[in-house]
Amino acid sequence: MADSAGAAPPKPSSSVKLVLLGEAAVGKSSLVLRFVNNDFQENKEPTIGAAFLTQKSHLPHRTIKFEIWDTAGQERFASLAPMYYRNAQSALVVYDLTKPTSFVKAKHWVAELQRQASPGIVIALVGNKLDLTNESSDTSGTPSTTTTEGAAEGEENADAAEENGDARKISTKEGREYAEEEGLLFFETSAKSGVNVQGVFTAIANAIPETQMKTSKTQAAGGGTQTALGAERVNLNKRAEGAKEGCAC
Amino acid sequence: MFTFNSLVQKAQSLIDSTALQNIRDPDGTPSKAALFRLQFRLPDSQSPLHEITAELSLSAPQSSRASATAAREKQKLQERGNAYVGKLHLSESFLCFSTQPTSFHPSATTQASSAFTGHTQGAGPAGNGFTLPLCAIRRVERLQTANSLFALAITTWNGFTTLAANKGSSSDAQRFTVQLAGSRQASEGFCDGLRKGLRDGVKEVENLKAVIGECYSEYLLSGANKAERESAMKAQGMREPPDAGLGMVFRYPGDAKKLREQSKMRLWREYLRDNGRNATLIRQPTFHKLIRVGLPNRLRGEMWELTSGSLYLRLQKPKLFADILSKFSGRESLAIDEIEKDLNRSLPEYPGFQSEEGIGRLRRVLTAYSWTNEEVGYCQAMNIVVAALLIYMSESQAFFLLSVLCDRLLPGYYSQTMYGTLLDQRVFESLVEKKMPILWDHLVKSDVQLSVVSLPWFLSLYINSMPLVFAFRVLDVFFLEGPKVLFQVGLAILRINGEELLDITDDGTFISILKTYFSRLDESAHPTSEYEKLRAVTKFQELMVVAFKEFAGITQSTISEQRAKHKDAVLDNIESFAKRTSIRNLGLDSKRLSVDDLGFLYDRFYGILYEREQRMQVMREESDRRAKASRTKATELVTGIPGNTSIEIGRVGLGPSSTLMNYDGFREFLAGITRWAITDAPTASHKDSVSEKEGSIYSGHSGRARSFSLSPWGAGNAEPADHDFMQRLYGKWNKDDNDGLSLQDVVTGIAHVKGTRDIMASISYFFDLYDDDDDGKVDREGILRISEALLFLTRRGLGGSPTPSSTSTISESVDSTNSSVDERFLSSVSAFIRRCFEYADPDQPQNQSNGTAGSPDPNLSASMDNFTVGDSDSDSEEDLLDLGPKSTDQAPSPDTPLPRRTSSLNHPITKPPSKHSANLALDPANPLHITLPTFRMVILADDLLQQFFESSFPDSFHLSDHPAHTSQTALTTFSSPTTPTIPAAPRGGIVPPAKGLRGVLDNIVSDGMRVAGEVRKRMDEAQREMERSALQRSSEADMDDEDEKGGYGGESDRRSVREGDRELLEGEEAVVGVGRGGNKEVEEDLLGALEGTGDTRTPEKGKVEFER
Repeated sequence: MADSAGAAPPKPSSSVKLVLLGEAAVGKSSLVLRFVNNDFQENKEPTIGAAFLTQKSHLPHRTIKFEIWDTAGQERFASLAPMYYRNAQSALVVYDLTKPTSFVKAKHWVAELQRQASPGIVIALVGNKLDLTNESSDTSGTPSTTTTEGAAEGEENADAAEENGDARKISTKEGREYAEEEGLLFFETSAKSGVNVQGVFTAIANAIPETQMKTSKTQAAGGGTQTALGAERVNLNKRAEGAKEGCAC
Repeated sequence: MFTFNSLVQKAQSLIDSTALQNIRDPDGTPSKAALFRLQFRLPDSQSPLHEITAELSLSAPQSSRASATAAREKQKLQERGNAYVGKLHLSESFLCFSTQPTSFHPSATTQASSAFTGHTQGAGPAGNGFTLPLCAIRRVERLQTANSLFALAITTWNGFTTLAANKGSSSDAQRFTVQLAGSRQASEGFCDGLRKGLRDGVKEVENLKAVIGECYSEYLLSGANKAERESAMKAQGMREPPDAGLGMVFRYPGDAKKLREQSKMRLWREYLRDNGRNATLIRQPTFHKLIRVGLPNRLRGEMWELTSGSLYLRLQKPKLFADILSKFSGRESLAIDEIEKDLNRSLPEYPGFQSEEGIGRLRRVLTAYSWTNEEVGYCQAMNIVVAALLIYMSESQAFFLLSVLCDRLLPGYYSQTMYGTLLDQRVFESLVEKKMPILWDHLVKSDVQLSVVSLPWFLSLYINSMPLVFAFRVLDVFFLEGPKVLFQVGLAILRINGEELLDITDDGTFISILKTYFSRLDESAHPTSEYEKLRAVTKFQELMVVAFKEFAGITQSTISEQRAKHKDAVLDNIESFAKRTSIRNLGLDSKRLSVDDLGFLYDRFYGILYEREQRMQVMREESDRRAKASRTKATELVTGIPGNTSIEIGRVGLGPSSTLMNYDGFREFLAGITRWAITDAPTASHKDSVSEKEGSIYSGHSGRARSFSLSPWGAGNAEPADHDFMQRLYGKWNKDDNDGLSLQDVVTGIAHVKGTRDIMASISYFFDLYDDDDDGKVDREGILRISEALLFLTRRGLGGSPTPSSTSTISESVDSTNSSVDERFLSSVSAFIRRCFEYADPDQPQNQSNGTAGSPDPNLSASMDNFTVGDSDSDSEEDLLDLGPKSTDQAPSPDTPLPRRTSSLNHPITKPPSKHSANLALDPANPLHITLPTFRMVILADDLLQQFFESSFPDSFHLSDHPAHTSQTALTTFSSPTTPTIPAAPRGGIVPPAKGLRGVLDNIVSDGMRVAGEVRKRMDEAQREMERSALQRSSEADMDDEDEKGGYGGESDRRSVREGDRELLEGEEAVVGVGRGGNKEVEEDLLGALEGTGDTRTPEKGKVEFER
């Protein structure tokens, strides 16, 4: 964010708060690292509390700056989550395609977000570690195969792959059906190979209505007072709600 | 929400306040023993036995090898005579001296004993002085003094390992004197205690030797240079120097030159030689200063161990780490899975943790700790902290230091709910608000959450926030001075960056400013200053100065106060979060219940677990108070949360201690939401007259429970009943055959009985309860048990209120009115038994003729007619409500069916033919069973039974959606068979009724009681009848005698009721057909028949089974 001071984007720019949730070691931080730095680390330190990163996503008509909150996945950190998803406009709920428990946990997170997070939050369900399944070789390089639009195609792949006995435990069909039921965006990704990672963020950027965007803030001191004040009032109310609902901090 | 306060009060009221003096003071502050341990960082087994004011005199260092600066320092010390006045304390195995003004003697006030939690001027709570394990004392001599004061010369085993090698050379000998400044008596008492302690300490000398052998200081002082040390090692048969962490192999972080390692080492060598090392070290001001400037790498681990007190834990059980590893070797756990996930991601940039060696050490320490403290298990961030420790210390040292961290320094940080972390975040926020109000206001205005940045600081002790070298400097002070250091450093970070932070507008900028700051900690704080000295000051040095000078006012007691202040709010938040999450994840069955009901069940479920845990705790404390002190875990007497931590074990917010409810808990749970689950003999006063009878009637009340002098159900709580039905329900709900019911089990169970309005489902659920082998059949015994259960469930009326103790005040007329429905229910149950047998299928085909011999009861239809006359009843009942207690005039109306059906009472011998057929069916030689369709048919044939399954039974579980004020309506309409809406009373009837309608309720209540008494009496008679007939083979006998013996409640009451019955009976006897009515005669006949044919099994066996 320090570098953003001078950059005056030609297109309208707005920022979106995005939070990542999901079981430990499903690859939340890796997805972010792939998205932000286009990088992958085999041994990433577990996130303590939460990590904060930003990245811009360029759409045809506007630029979106993602303020990404990457949270800790271990079960006992769950009670800290409200602190991070507070005021989030979008969420990535991540599970590991090869771990059924992580899918159950993802459902829990979806339920929690739907009840406790800001109304209208855009949630994307993401099955990560596609590289551990057989179809990874087929789909890599064609990042749009398993987006919602291309889901049918992805499903065929998945069904075929399952017969081959790969590490996949959650079929594309299962994930997609749940996502449709709950009205979520759905993707299967690999942070390792990069498959579909950009797609997730682009789809989220597209799914967030213009009206919900925070106006881009000027970094220079003293600037943007008006907008800041406007934002304050709204946020203060939300803060009070958050406190009532058990965000312990 | 839990009503914790009241629970805690309740629990506390049970505690003999003087009994717990040793654990905590009544005002909620930690006990003196806890403070004492805290000050000197002693293990939990220690308590202050003696204390006395004393003066510590240290002889001048004899060293001639001192450097110039150290010599100057020493000279100064000599000039001052290096004497310290303070308190000398003696515990079971430690002799401690501190200049901090404290007092832990039992007669001292709490204020005095908590004084050390105030300003410590950088010396840590133990101040100047020493903490000597008694086993490290070699000799104590009493010196002759002019003024007849006690002066002790203490010689220690300082330099234990080298002593042996040097054959007693005195170069390492440490000797100092302590002059006692108390009365002669006090001094003598102290010396006696010391003498005894020293004798006991001899046993531990071997431990001491093993433990300090791992201390690097021993190696350091064994020679002036490397060659000398190596020869000394050889002399002791050691091959390598003690393990000072992975850093010895993979290098220590940071630039040794920049860190001025060599000069630090020289200074420490000097200090240790003059003031003792490891176990025998004497703390003087230089010690604390040396720590402030940063420990040298090789001594860092040892000093952490010493200042945190983990050395003393290791001294107690030197082999614990290795023992645990071997004991649990090969075992698996969730914690271990979680640890494995993170092993490769702990300080991955440090070369030691890219190697199998480093990862193996990390794995062993984390795994061993997860076994010793399964409640904590493993929490992310522990991997980072332990990895950091392992750079400087051995596995075993890191293991004990981790224990001290989790139990004492960071209480609750890594627990299941992480309440300690959340609490300290709250404390930190409140400190920021107080110390930096402008910044705080800005953060609030900008909607920036402070804990978003500060939480990782605390949770991983700044290790992954600051560059490692600086984080370790913070740790140096942290282990010496305690948790307050984390707060001081945090505040200083914000203060230093204050101006920039005032410009931030969101979390993102907040985080990035601090990230930048941390990455520049090694840069000059005043790069543009014209003074070179100022330019040389780094940002980190500035940080330390601000933290410990400007925020010197943040003391341990500040932190404790703030923790106490915010604890409840934080726990409440965690609990409501846990509740929300838990309820949401209960699964499909839970959807049948309302959210309020689920919330109620959740509270009730955990409330019971919590309350029971408290009671167990109180009882344990009661029974072995003495052993308590050593057993209580440090977590409970923790620095930060003064007082009643231990009283709150089991509180959800503190982490789950138990999530399963055993059968007794289940009984208590039911007693809270249903009235039938409350026992009939709850109080001692009723016990004598009732208990024997109870036992024989319901065959289920355990006398054991009542024999506790301290009620296991808690003071003022209704004592739960124990009945076959409850056991069956428990068994049914306990799907996984666990040791108890989970919340999930309970919710699913309740959802099945209550969440359905489908009478068929309700009937088959009940049937399944008694279908023991799941073959779709219930046998003869099962039928009798069902009927018994029906009576049990309705013994307080179909919905009558409990409060069994108010039997005595009954108005007769009201009785007869209100009892009608309940009596009719009796007859329904009786009819139920009879019909069951009539329509039962024989197990063997050849008996079919017998089984079907009984033609349909001619009275069946008649009785049906009778029982449908419900409307008038309901009217009159509603009137009753309106009119209040004056309901006498309605007495006759509901009673019309009564006479007919009970007429056989007076003619027990003239049994009608249909009765005989029923009896034939009871012949045990003809085993029989009913199937679900039969059962359903029999139930549906009777309005009352139908009503019972349709509404009464489901509604007998009172959850949240029944507000207490409707209870009157409920009670009244309930006894009306045709009123479909049934209702509710205050939860389990324990809550006193709302004022105003009290009179009405009282009458109804006592009426319910009377009915219960009546039922019981009749049952009892039946029981006795059976017993007698088994003996004498006479099926009919004089009832009155039995009555006298088995009378329940008030004698006059019972009599009057019976007389009333007789009058009614006499008037109508001709009209009635055969064996109608569910009164005692029928019961007797049925059961008597069983007995008569030699089947004594049923009731007797039942009794045995129910008594658990």
